[in-house]
Amino acid sequence: MLLFACSIGTVPVQAGKPVFEIEIRDHLFQPAEIIVPANTKVKLLVYNRDPTSEEFESYELNREKVIMGNRKAVIFIGPLLPGEYPFFGEFHPETAQGKVIAE
Amino acid sequence: MLLTSVIIVLREVLEAALLVSILLALSSVLGISRRWLGWALGFGMAGAFIYSLGVAVVSDWFDGVGQEVTSAALQFMIYLFLLLFALLVLRNPGPRRLSDKQIMLVMAAIVALAITREGFEVLVYIYGFSSDLPRFAIILLGAVIGASIGVSIGALIYYFVSSLSYRQSLVIGIGLLALVAAGMLSQAALLLIQADWLPSQLPIWDSSAWLSEYSVTGQLMYALVGYEATPTVLQASFYFGGLLLLLIVAILAVRFRRQSV
Repeated sequence: MLLFACSIGTVPVQAGKPVFEIEIRDHLFQPAEIIVPANTKVKLLVYNRDPTSEEFESYELNREKVIMGNRKAVIFIGPLLPGEYPFFGEFHPETAQGKVIAE
Repeated sequence: MLLTSVIIVLREVLEAALLVSILLALSSVLGISRRWLGWALGFGMAGAFIYSLGVAVVSDWFDGVGQEVTSAALQFMIYLFLLLFALLVLRNPGPRRLSDKQIMLVMAAIVALAITREGFEVLVYIYGFSSDLPRFAIILLGAVIGASIGVSIGALIYYFVSSLSYRQSLVIGIGLLALVAAGMLSQAALLLIQADWLPSQLPIWDSSAWLSEYSVTGQLMYALVGYEATPTVLQASFYFGGLLLLLIVAILAVRFRRQSV
């Protein structure tokens, strides 16, 4: 589990925007915190490993997107001023909480 | 969990309820039959059902941003139909309009598109719990409560708009529709920014300390006037551009009004 968590995070950039990966597992975001460069547009790849659907939602990032069970979603965020931007899974907000830290 | 489902359903129902209540009120003020509503609800629910089944496929279109593009297209179409509605209503005054049929069609299209756009998320959410019967019952209860609150707010707006004089309800009804329409356009822009089809910038302002999007008022303002605490220049331009265009069309339609038949 821990090993797996370490293997995700930053992914090498092909060209253009940096890519970050997040997983949803048992209605939890893994990792729950990701650090992205400030003032840069980045691409989030959100893998939903649960069989149930989830909605990635953030008022601070102005983003919302439905992610079906066992699917992945592409979400572009930023450019962001340095700071913290909470996000949550709208369908399971009791557990699915995370934040993007721009620095 | 109950509260979550109340909030999710309320948020989605609110926008459609606002459109339905204003259009229904204008319908009765203009003396147009309400038959269109049944069709609109039917087509809207069918649309939401089909979209909810196809969303996994749609999401993979355009390198993974199909959902954004489809939703933006729906919002954009709602805006265009609202523009057409204002034009038809204001250009053809008087009790007997040749355009009544067209107006009914346009109203049905607006409501059906709005229900498709908002409804699919509710359905996707509810499907997720269908294998777990006790939780499913709670989710459904929450959905009913959320929908009822949304419909009640719609009813308030309906009675408010229909209680005014003919002239006032036209001005206020179309004014409210213009705000909703501009909000639709700014949401469409936001979705295209999220899809990286439109460039994104830093927000031009941050009013979250003043009116949080988490708050009930913030949610209501989001549905009614497309409120965003941290919009970008592009979003604001779509919003105010859309509002301005609709108002210009409305003013021109009144100015070059067709003579009553």
